Amino acid sequence: MGNFHLVRRADYSIKRVIIYYLIGILISLSIGAILLMSLNINPIEYYSRMLSMGLIGNKFAYKNVESLIKIFVPLLITSLALGLAFKMRFWNIGGEGEFLAGAICASVVAFNSKGMNPFLTVLLMCIAAMLSAGLIGLAVAALKVKFNTNETLMTLMLNYIMLYVIKYLGDTKADWNFFLREDSDRPIFGEFPENAEMGGITIGFFTLQYSLIVAVILTVLIYFYIKKTKQGYEISVVGDSAATAKYAGMNVSWIVLRTMFISASLIGLAAGLATSTAGTVSDSITNNVGWTGIIVAWLSKLSIPAIFVTSILISVLQYGCRAAATQYPAIDQNFADILQGIILFSVLVTDFAATFRIAKREEASNG
Amino acid sequence: MGNAIELRGISKSFGSVAANKNINLTVEKGEILALLGENGSGKTTLMNMLSGIYMPDSGSIFVDGKKVSINSPEQSAKLGIGMVHQHFKLVERFTALENIRLGLKTGGKFLLGKDTRKYIEDTAAKFGFEIDSDKLVCNMSVSEKQTLEILKVICYGANIIILDEPTAVLTVQEIDKLFDVMRKMKQDGHSIIIITHKLNEVMEISDRVAVLRHGEYIGSVKTSGTNEKELTELMVGRRISLNIERPVMEKTHPLLEIRDLTVRNDEGAIAVDGMNFYIRGGEMLGVAGIAGSGQKELCEAIAGLRPIERGQMLHEGESIVGMSPKKILDHGISMSFIPEDRLGMGLAPSLSITDNMILKNYNEAKGIFVDRKAAREEAKEAIDKLEIVTPSTETPVRKLSGGNVQKVLLGREIKSGPNVLVTAYPVRGLDINSSYMIYDILNQQKQKGVGILFVGEDLDVMLALCDKIMVMCHGRLQGVVNSTNTTKEDIGLMMTGALNIVNKEGKTDGIAADSAFEDKKEDANG
Repeated sequence: MGNFHLVRRADYSIKRVIIYYLIGILISLSIGAILLMSLNINPIEYYSRMLSMGLIGNKFAYKNVESLIKIFVPLLITSLALGLAFKMRFWNIGGEGEFLAGAICASVVAFNSKGMNPFLTVLLMCIAAMLSAGLIGLAVAALKVKFNTNETLMTLMLNYIMLYVIKYLGDTKADWNFFLREDSDRPIFGEFPENAEMGGITIGFFTLQYSLIVAVILTVLIYFYIKKTKQGYEISVVGDSAATAKYAGMNVSWIVLRTMFISASLIGLAAGLATSTAGTVSDSITNNVGWTGIIVAWLSKLSIPAIFVTSILISVLQYGCRAAATQYPAIDQNFADILQGIILFSVLVTDFAATFRIAKREEASNG
Repeated sequence: MGNAIELRGISKSFGSVAANKNINLTVEKGEILALLGENGSGKTTLMNMLSGIYMPDSGSIFVDGKKVSINSPEQSAKLGIGMVHQHFKLVERFTALENIRLGLKTGGKFLLGKDTRKYIEDTAAKFGFEIDSDKLVCNMSVSEKQTLEILKVICYGANIIILDEPTAVLTVQEIDKLFDVMRKMKQDGHSIIIITHKLNEVMEISDRVAVLRHGEYIGSVKTSGTNEKELTELMVGRRISLNIERPVMEKTHPLLEIRDLTVRNDEGAIAVDGMNFYIRGGEMLGVAGIAGSGQKELCEAIAGLRPIERGQMLHEGESIVGMSPKKILDHGISMSFIPEDRLGMGLAPSLSITDNMILKNYNEAKGIFVDRKAAREEAKEAIDKLEIVTPSTETPVRKLSGGNVQKVLLGREIKSGPNVLVTAYPVRGLDINSSYMIYDILNQQKQKGVGILFVGEDLDVMLALCDKIMVMCHGRLQGVVNSTNTTKEDIGLMMTGALNIVNKEGKTDGIAADSAFEDKKEDANG
């Protein structure tokens, strides 16, 4: 073994990366195929259903596209937000917690909004979500700036705190708990009044949700924010070298606080939009975007256009896996999650392989 | 005598960069071999392969004539190879004895048994190490720490000792002591490889000199049969003049005056203790001192990056105490500090040259956007003027070579047209060629009437380049000397605190005759 070691590749070629990714996906699909065959399912049939996301030959195909968008929007916004923090080398792995905080606060608004103007309701939900998530981010950043605490631990632990808060709300039958359905003896999360649900532009049967438009505009805005504005420039400098930023006269603490607030409140916005779209809240409302978003941001090497594309691909993968899984009685969503995991893992491994190569130690020819 | 170490066809590359190409090198038993080469010529990489930190891509290593493969530092130690790194690897809270005991494989059951102490102290006495074995490392000076490092590798049974730039942090007197120890080790049959940039030291201590250039082994020469000039030519690959110019300028009034300045370091200890000095226009004032004598804190205080405890700082008669870094910059004081890792402060390594150019004035553009168009022009200008070698203005700074990085940094500092330039270690880690280009840039600024504070490491360079040199020791001023009528030995004594000439012949160093302070002082008193 001592004769082999890792060497960073000298050149970075996008072509090689794509080829490696394709190889990785192929390998993972083959592993999936073995699993499927052991369950007596034809893998080719399964995969074709997965890739078409159940769109072909489906009278209600537009419903599937709507569902895909529901997965895509929160993932995209969360990944963008995490990318912003990572760019500053602030390891915000608290996407889940911030998302949940946003979702809870958006639901508080939603459950108490009977009779309000729909636009105003959704707007208020988003603001509540952004503020609550943003404040959590701000608190972590403040601790980091003031006491140099470890933001990775802080944000990670907050994930669990927020998860148990929402579980508590979902499990506690009490008079004050307006989150739950009143007509049920068992504790079940209630549904939002209609005015708290996300509207959209109707094209035939298809409804193009406003949340998608918001997400796309946001992508463009964040792109320009990072590339062109002074604040974006400051984030890059702080991320690259905090000592240099300080030396250049930047107020590093302020920049960290500001950026973390923006990052967390964007995740809050994703939560606000997601709860409004779902019309209810639950402890699985995050759909793990806080975790998946980390993968998206790093696979995209923190580039905004790449985050946009990667988010689409991962949403298609997620939705496709689930759509295909529902067609077979032998498997359920858990299989879809296994397959997704295998594919993401393979892509990460091949990403590593595309960056490094294994070199063998040669003996000297004259030795 | 046989060969202690023989390297055959050693190659090592990092990505596309070949750090070592087919190197053949031998070290005889009981020999002091100096390894010479410009920065980036692959000296440290090669030594790291001997000490098991890196593994060669190809080639073989023979120790005592036997072919070996060194896969880890432990293995390297077992083969009797010990390396003393530039950055010490010691436990700060342990005593000297405890630090050595840590890695000792023998020595009884008890961690600090009598045998262990005896063994260590005997070894120290044998080679003439002056060391207090019960002193905590955190209370040691740099030279004591280095002594301990060397003693440590000898106690571990090393026969072949590699010293990576051991003299960089030492004073002249301490270097002499080190060389004495090295000679004793040699007599005892140890082989020593010493990496250094300083040719006079190479001439003094080594038996043979091996030269690397751009990762290739150029050859080796007997020290007795060569001279500094020939070694330089071997190292650089062509003839080069070793004279540093010192244009003499008409000096103007004091631009920057520092009075009674006291500054604390990050740990809260006094780092600069009641310093007085001034810089006139058209003058280059060198700052000499052992590493960590308060140079960094002094620079940071002048640049407004560090609050001061006490004292006054006047720039053209106006106090700059308490001003923000930005305001001090606007005033015309510019600082370029090159830290050990070169990129840590002053530049953002992953950002382009363009982005680094506007680091200090990006905020001047109107609106919320950064003005990259103007920045690109500035970057182009700097690239042309200072002959920075780069594929484009958008290349990340970390992809440039050391000399070019430092030029980018100086280019930005000069761009704002300062009248006081504080520059710390501007040639740190640079090869001879690049260093001379930096000296030229600084001299040009001086000729424009800029006052320059030059914090340096190499006394020879400072004596040749600076008009005056002030010496610091433990944050205190030890004296200001004219570089035309002083000696290295005097400066060395002042650096260690053995000599203080601040108040010689009834006049006080560091206080200008035509100071802008006089009237101010009366104001303060009245």
